[in-house]
Amino acid sequence: MIPLLRVIRWLPHVVMTALMIVAMVDMLVGVFLRYVMTWVSATFDLPSVRFFWVEEIGEYSLAWLTFIGAAIGIRRGTHFAVHILTDRFPPAVRRGVKVGHYVLLIGFGLLLTVYGWQVSELNSQSYSPALDLNLRWLYLSSVVGGVLTMIYSAAGALDAWRAPA
Amino acid sequence: MLFSAVAVTFLALTIVSLPIVFSLGIAGFVGLVVGNFSLGKLPSSLVAGSQSWVLLAIPTFIFAGNLMERCGMSYALVDLARALIGWVRGGLGMSVVLAEYFFSGISGSTIADVSAIGAMLTPPMLRAGYKPEHAASLVASATAMGILVPPAIFMIVLGQVTDTSVVGIFLGGFLPAAVTAVCLMVVIFGQAHRLNWPKDRRPTRAEFGVAARASLVPMVVPIVIVLGFYFGVFTATEAGALVAAYAVGAALLYYRNVSPREMLVLIHESALLTAAVVFLLAVASVYQFLMGMLGVPAMLGALLQPLHATPWLFLLAVSVIVILFGMVLEGLPAAVVLVPVVFPIAKQIGIHPIHFNIVLTAAVGIGLFLPPIGVGLLMALRFANISVGQHFRSYWPYLASLVVGLMILILFPEITLFLPRRAGLVR
Repeated sequence: MIPLLRVIRWLPHVVMTALMIVAMVDMLVGVFLRYVMTWVSATFDLPSVRFFWVEEIGEYSLAWLTFIGAAIGIRRGTHFAVHILTDRFPPAVRRGVKVGHYVLLIGFGLLLTVYGWQVSELNSQSYSPALDLNLRWLYLSSVVGGVLTMIYSAAGALDAWRAPA
Repeated sequence: MLFSAVAVTFLALTIVSLPIVFSLGIAGFVGLVVGNFSLGKLPSSLVAGSQSWVLLAIPTFIFAGNLMERCGMSYALVDLARALIGWVRGGLGMSVVLAEYFFSGISGSTIADVSAIGAMLTPPMLRAGYKPEHAASLVASATAMGILVPPAIFMIVLGQVTDTSVVGIFLGGFLPAAVTAVCLMVVIFGQAHRLNWPKDRRPTRAEFGVAARASLVPMVVPIVIVLGFYFGVFTATEAGALVAAYAVGAALLYYRNVSPREMLVLIHESALLTAAVVFLLAVASVYQFLMGMLGVPAMLGALLQPLHATPWLFLLAVSVIVILFGMVLEGLPAAVVLVPVVFPIAKQIGIHPIHFNIVLTAAVGIGLFLPPIGVGLLMALRFANISVGQHFRSYWPYLASLVVGLMILILFPEITLFLPRRAGLVR
């Protein structure tokens, strides 16, 4: 595969894993600040350390990692589905159904992208209370999620289409 | 009109096995279109629903559970359970229940429990002469009980959906799990004598010491959680961070059997699972808006009016619905679809939120292991390599004892509320 393509292919995985680490480390730092540093600054009469940015970093990482991970999960099969009926279908029909799923998901991704973009524009005037971050950056997660959903679903549709019945 | 459009879309897509979360998402779009609401409501609810401090407990507990399992902590817990009770008649079967109680205390996911306990205890049971169908029944019913032992991802989700203290629900789970475990043990004891199941050799004091020492490292986790919550030291989210840090520390310094590369792979897998859970909740939050607009809770409230005078009957009715939904839809989707509708009524007729959530958790546990298509049950059967039909005849006593356990929890709220009350979380 072309190196650039390979990078693009791994990018969502790397970003998602990094966000997971950020979220966990952030919470641990939060616990440290709340329990240890508060005590330290109270005992030694030091200026208190502010830590309410901890919540924002954690929550925003979770939002982003959710959208990216949910899109990756489409092809990994991490989302639960009910298979009672379709398991009884003949292979050819099953294949058709599968292609149909991915096409539906492309539509879902498209709607998410378009309206997610609208919502991020709408929120681009607001700033988060602790980090003073433009809220557009939070809502753009839905756009990225929508785009990734379309990409993974398109790839899935192609694979399902080509697969021998 | 709106209601039926949403319901039909959801059901049609789900039955052709589109992942439930996307059936919900697409049906949500349909609902917004039919109801003439702004379509921007979907992405904005999705973002708002996934950006939550309470839900941040999910990634850490999932990761910590995966890592501790990978280190081999589960082996130590199984050995401890066997040393404690294995020498009684049918003791190996009882140790499945006990091991699951311990293991569930470090793991947050029921499905992970089935694979861990099923993989570790099915082979020794078969070797000891248990029939495969009994081995599978033991694993299935024990894990159905284990969902009540905190930490449980399911309880975090319920806490978020019903706006109840997750710490309260966690604390509420310990005794109900113990009660259900006792119900199971009674059945196992009876079965053991009827079917003449073997005893393990009584462990020597030295052997027992070895098992107890090996389990010290994993047992720190549930003990710290119980004490920390009981004394109100930290929140569920903070506990998750601490447990994850502890797991990393134990893996790197004590067990030393997980390479950095494997650690990254575990983080990656845990992130995928986290995303699946949180995304589902985020999608479901659209429905809280839609159903509020439709007045569904008020409608259902009127429908269930006759049950208002008898809270236990109401809880029983809800449990039956949840068990069936849980069997078909799996636990979390069932909860996010049903709970926002039923919970306001429960609160209105004076059922304590923690009691309600624990009963629901127990019911979902049963649903996951209900034949013919409970997901957990199907997994448990895979380890014993038998079919649902072969299995059911030996399964029903265990299933019945789970139901008895559930009834006890419904009828005696104090079992659930005792610990949270002592901790000052219930007035």
